[in-house]
Amino acid sequence: MRPMKTPQYSINRRTFIQRSAHGAGVLAFGRAALDFSPRAYSADRAANPFAYEVEYLAKTDPALLKYEEVRRFAVPGPEPRRIDIGPGDRLYVATEKGVNILDAKGGPVGDLPTSEPARCVGVAPDGMVYVGLRDHIEVFDSRFAPAGAWQSPARKTWLTGLALKGSDLFAADSGNRVVLRYDRSGKLNGRIGEKNHDRNVPGLVVPSPYLDIVPAPDGLIRVADPGRHRVEAYTLDGDLEFSWGKPSNAIDGFCGCCNPIGLTILPDGKFVTCEKGLPRVKVYQADGTFESVVAGTESFPENARRGSARNPSDGMMGGLDAAVDSQGMIYILDLVARDVRVMRRKG
Amino acid sequence: MNPGPEKKVVTRRQFLRDGARVTGVTGLGALLGVLAGKSAAAGTVWQIDPQKCVRCGNCATHCVLEQSAVKCVHAFAICGYCQLCTGYFEPEPNELNTGAENCLCPTAAIKRTYVEDPYYEYEIDERLCIGCAKCVEGCNRFGNGSLFLQVRHDRCLNCNECSIARVCAGDAFRRVPAGHPYLLKTMSH
Repeated sequence: MRPMKTPQYSINRRTFIQRSAHGAGVLAFGRAALDFSPRAYSADRAANPFAYEVEYLAKTDPALLKYEEVRRFAVPGPEPRRIDIGPGDRLYVATEKGVNILDAKGGPVGDLPTSEPARCVGVAPDGMVYVGLRDHIEVFDSRFAPAGAWQSPARKTWLTGLALKGSDLFAADSGNRVVLRYDRSGKLNGRIGEKNHDRNVPGLVVPSPYLDIVPAPDGLIRVADPGRHRVEAYTLDGDLEFSWGKPSNAIDGFCGCCNPIGLTILPDGKFVTCEKGLPRVKVYQADGTFESVVAGTESFPENARRGSARNPSDGMMGGLDAAVDSQGMIYILDLVARDVRVMRRKG
Repeated sequence: MNPGPEKKVVTRRQFLRDGARVTGVTGLGALLGVLAGKSAAAGTVWQIDPQKCVRCGNCATHCVLEQSAVKCVHAFAICGYCQLCTGYFEPEPNELNTGAENCLCPTAAIKRTYVEDPYYEYEIDERLCIGCAKCVEGCNRFGNGSLFLQVRHDRCLNCNECSIARVCAGDAFRRVPAGHPYLLKTMSH
């Protein structure tokens, strides 16, 4: 009889558990490597074969940049939407909680609280402040005390711009694609920009809640018609006189589907326009000839990255707005970065 | 003098028997874990949160299906019906017409229809859409964001571990109740 074979290898319970733990560790490491390597790869946007290429449009020719930034400060209120400048070059910024009043260096002067988000603001030379909420206007006196609220003009009203000239107040109603002409007491005296074949008015095209207006020294008002990529000049009675602007991502045109979204005027009669998508601020001559760039897309990286559809349920949450003070300084409101940049002409 | 404790020798047979026992217990635990996981995931499906989506392109390339289960969908209530739709046209189109050289979609999955001057309607042909999000990026960057991606559940296999979710650059994939399988964009005006 052959003797029983002695085991060559013996393993005790402790060794077995140790080796099992090592094996599990190796397996877990391998699994983790599998998990993370594709994610790291995907983070590289350059690997996207379907990338939407517009970054090359974000560079501005330095020769066209005629303005320099002299100051920048944050807006205190959340979700700023529009900016205007009143007597004493005070800034009035419409925000979600009301209107922030600031001095030219960004120091707080006061607040005008509103019951719902303020979407636009206009200040009269006598200091009266008109605040556009979604569907109506609220008025504050020069000491910031409430002075009444006007009736909503229509069911779908969505106010996005206010401007004053003499005894008139113009309200841009993007929801109904019309500019409403009020007197200072709130009486509606006219409607501008509505489609009217008899008067040869094609009608404003407003794909999103961005519609702005500015009175000009020639007695006409200018309306930014974003869907047609142009600025239109109307008489106060609503006759369309002329227009300028073209759709183009090039620097002399208005980019994307619907621009310009903001409009203001310099003391010398040139116009300042604001765009979204490729956020940029430019200056045009009174006849619409492109003149220069105040700030290019590269100045607003976060704004460009977030796009214009940041909060489509509420509109007006992306892009830029601008106002001009008595010295011709341009104040750019960045709706995404929630700050104001003060731009001075070079030389 | 005590001889001390005798060292216990484990034979191959004993080792195999112990190993089988450990394997059995581990397997039972794993089975129970999988069943528990399945129970927790029961009644849920994968969906993309459009507010988190960063249009990285991975939906087109990482789905286990040959043609991705992720499709572009269109919230018509948000759409501006633009003549120059940045979800439809290349950033610098030669003309605003349906010529292939002007169109952004790599598979011509967007149909453009004239409504009235100057408005056009844009409709997604899901048979052609590969979920690349190129149009979604164009619409969100310049427009209202009415184009966005959703997992279509007539195609999705509802994998336990979604291969797109694993690589989603915006962490936009999440499980939602099967009774409400879509995360749609809405507007208040």
